[in-house]
Amino acid sequence: MVNFAVLVVPLVAGMLFGYVLRGRRQINLGRVTFGVILVLIFSLGFSIGSNNDLLSSLPEVGLSAVVIACLTILFSVVLIGAVRKAVRLE
Amino acid sequence: MIKYIVVALLFGAVAGYLNGNWRSVIDGVWVSNYLLNASLLLLLFVMGLVFAMDKESIAKIRRTGFRILVVPLVVALGSVLGGLVSGLVLRIDVVATTAVSAGYGWYTLAGPLVGQIFGAKWGALGFTANFLRELLTIVTISLMVKLGKYAPVASGGATSMDTTLPVIVRYCGPDMLIVAFWSGFVLSVIAPFTIVAIASLA
Repeated sequence: MVNFAVLVVPLVAGMLFGYVLRGRRQINLGRVTFGVILVLIFSLGFSIGSNNDLLSSLPEVGLSAVVIACLTILFSVVLIGAVRKAVRLE
Repeated sequence: MIKYIVVALLFGAVAGYLNGNWRSVIDGVWVSNYLLNASLLLLLFVMGLVFAMDKESIAKIRRTGFRILVVPLVVALGSVLGGLVSGLVLRIDVVATTAVSAGYGWYTLAGPLVGQIFGAKWGALGFTANFLRELLTIVTISLMVKLGKYAPVASGGATSMDTTLPVIVRYCGPDMLIVAFWSGFVLSVIAPFTIVAIASLA
């Protein structure tokens, strides 16, 4: 949980900033944000590609890992869909 | 839009591989650590900014209120069930696969922790399965969002607090920022406890 404070600080700082700027004028950050998202995804890919332990374990555990990842996602998504209706989340 | 994301991911993976195994152009840590964190922190700032400037997002969160608290718990339950079923499908140790799925996508935790409890082979599986959860969330997000805007949050698990958060907000809208962050946060906090608790059933 070392990461948590590091993540919250920029988030809250952005919110405070946005709160102050609210109502002034709408700024469109869409394109800039998407560029930064691509940088993030690139560096994520980079850390995967340079992780030899991960790559070498793929042939052995790959299939099981795919099954676990897919079913884990599937059950989470189905369950949240059901609960969302039940408690009327917007 | 999603094809740019996939291309960036593949490009990054190839670059990382070549840099690590063929010719080291830069110290890999600059990209996989500093660049990753810098872009993430910048995105968090911008997402906070966009959220606070959008009156509708804040109104939506107010209306939803405390009901968002259940989201991570439902995701945790779904994940654990998924792990249980995959153990049955694969005919391997059900307790171990359930423990693996209780990493909720946090692979740097699940890998070592599951490895310590069940042995190195399971550690590799814990790492890979959880890492794939993050990867699949990013790659399938444009399909996932069609199932509802909570689906990507559920899919992301613990990663919806950091690496998948920008993508989720991009596709689901700024009003999902708080829900996604909250869900990822709670799942990150409970991941080590649920892994150990499930392992104790063995």
